[in-house]
Amino acid sequence: MRRERGLDETVRRFLDRSLSVNAATSDQDGRPLVARAVAARVSPDGGRLTVLIDGRANAALVAAVAGTGRLAVVFTEPSTHRSIQIKDDNASVAAPTVEESALPGPYIDGFIAELAGMGFTEAFVRAVMEFEPADLVALHLAPADVFDQTPGPKAGERIPA
Amino acid sequence: MSGPLPRPLPHDALTLDAIRTCLEGVIPGTIATADAEGTPNVSQLSQVHYVDPGHIALSYQFFNKTRANILANPDAQLEVIDPATGAQYRLRLAYLRTETDGPLFESMKAKLSGIASHVGMAEVFRLRGADLFRVVAIEAVPGGCPLPAPVRPRSLLSAVRRACEGLRGAADLSDLLDRAIAALRDLFGVEHALILLPDTASGRLFTVAALGYEASGRGSGIGWEVAPGDGVIGMAARERVPIRITHMTTDVAYSMAMREGTAAAVAREIPFPGLDRPHSQLAVPILAHNLTHPGACGELAGVLFVESAQEMRFTYDDEDALATLAAQLGALMRGLPPAHGAEVEEVPTPAVTPPAIGDPIIVRHYASDDSVFLDHDYLIKGVAGAILWKLVRDHTALGRTDFTNRELRLAPDIPLPDFAENLEARLILLQRRLADRCGCLSIEKTGRGRFRLVVEKPLRLEEMS
Repeated sequence: MRRERGLDETVRRFLDRSLSVNAATSDQDGRPLVARAVAARVSPDGGRLTVLIDGRANAALVAAVAGTGRLAVVFTEPSTHRSIQIKDDNASVAAPTVEESALPGPYIDGFIAELAGMGFTEAFVRAVMEFEPADLVALHLAPADVFDQTPGPKAGERIPA
Repeated sequence: MSGPLPRPLPHDALTLDAIRTCLEGVIPGTIATADAEGTPNVSQLSQVHYVDPGHIALSYQFFNKTRANILANPDAQLEVIDPATGAQYRLRLAYLRTETDGPLFESMKAKLSGIASHVGMAEVFRLRGADLFRVVAIEAVPGGCPLPAPVRPRSLLSAVRRACEGLRGAADLSDLLDRAIAALRDLFGVEHALILLPDTASGRLFTVAALGYEASGRGSGIGWEVAPGDGVIGMAARERVPIRITHMTTDVAYSMAMREGTAAAVAREIPFPGLDRPHSQLAVPILAHNLTHPGACGELAGVLFVESAQEMRFTYDDEDALATLAAQLGALMRGLPPAHGAEVEEVPTPAVTPPAIGDPIIVRHYASDDSVFLDHDYLIKGVAGAILWKLVRDHTALGRTDFTNRELRLAPDIPLPDFAENLEARLILLQRRLADRCGCLSIEKTGRGRFRLVVEKPLRLEEMS
């Protein structure tokens, strides 16, 4: 079921903006865990995704990803509800590179701009997204499975490679 | 919620009640589930419904991966955000079952219709079921940097206490209803409210007390009617459960479509209750519990309804506050002294009304539904219409002005159901409709179980078959 090539152009274009990013995994006992991410990036060839997360606030999820490799990430555009879910069963956890550590700043700025049109203040969005830079953890995954997750009857349909 | 209570938690454990603001549908929740092999799934949820201190419910609209997963593995984790402070919480959940009818299902359906329309998804909305979960544990996420909680304009707990105190000592049903309306206005800051009582024969509800509808162009609100099951008021009455909608736009089919059907089908003259463009609505059933059957579900004694042009005006806490007020109202309504208790031996004081002068008022009565029109304008129908028709006939034929509740209950031409409260409710409705309408025909209370018909213009009666 693993893909050889990366995300298609449409999905890549959708992901190339500030979105609401949420991740899930399950631990060794199959118990699901959920966390909010603060930034994400797709590699230029679309073959690899990096999701940045507050590792202190989400310690159980980070430990479970490291242990099981299972990771599901949903990307949602709040103003349209358009959503894409990407899954991998071979995800990994790493300390962020300097370049990755710089991603959340502009990503959150973009997210603030997106939510401003929906009545959320900058102070509110920052209150939700705030983290200590030293706590940042990078989750890496390959887009093994991609699903359309936009609410409605077609939610959950696999997006063909 | 039926079933066993959740196990007691440590006294300082975070409770679901403390974080209900997160479940108002302002910010989507996020749920993680896993299939039997452990493959996770993550999904955003527009509605997480608070059920009781130990349970939440999710709307089942489509058979998606979340649903497939919970059927295979009931364990789930939900993350929610406080829309005021940004504080985040994670709830460990255990899926219990799916309900497809009943109070929980109906209240979710009402709420979801508002939310669906709010987010422009009304066309994809259809609730198939309410997926019920037990809340196993709640943790505050140690991330983010929550803002201080905003100061609320009033204390609901204090408002409830003072409102309940204010209801005590009411002389009669009319006084009790007026006190309840005053409490909503003065203590809860409510701008639009109705109290409706049920017609035990037809099951329909009619408004006997109203606040803030003078500018509606459809009268003061007194006499508005709704059928059980129609709109939030009718649904609260039918399901005996509070119904609350926090986001509502004009294209919400829920109240509007119902409104058209009801008004057209039953009686064009009687407006459907409420504002034309509400954004928040809350209807709470008033239940009267029978002390001889303490375990039984309460009998519907009425509906308390509030609404606002403002979104998110009524929260879970408002719902609890008004449910408490409604419970107090229900108990007090049941305990009111019977309106006919002292009337029997009393001699009516002679009327001192000046003789009626001026152009006559045409009072027209249709026997088919006991509707009464004053100068061709609809006034009232049903039992209250039959009462008015008897009063004006006795007045014109016999010159009578003073009447007793008792004689109305015994009158063969008034089809009154069994309960004494029904007569008093009808008299309140009639009295208030007359007060709304003309001023030259009115009813004054002259004592317990006694009243006077005050006629300031000659009456010309027309009976239509």
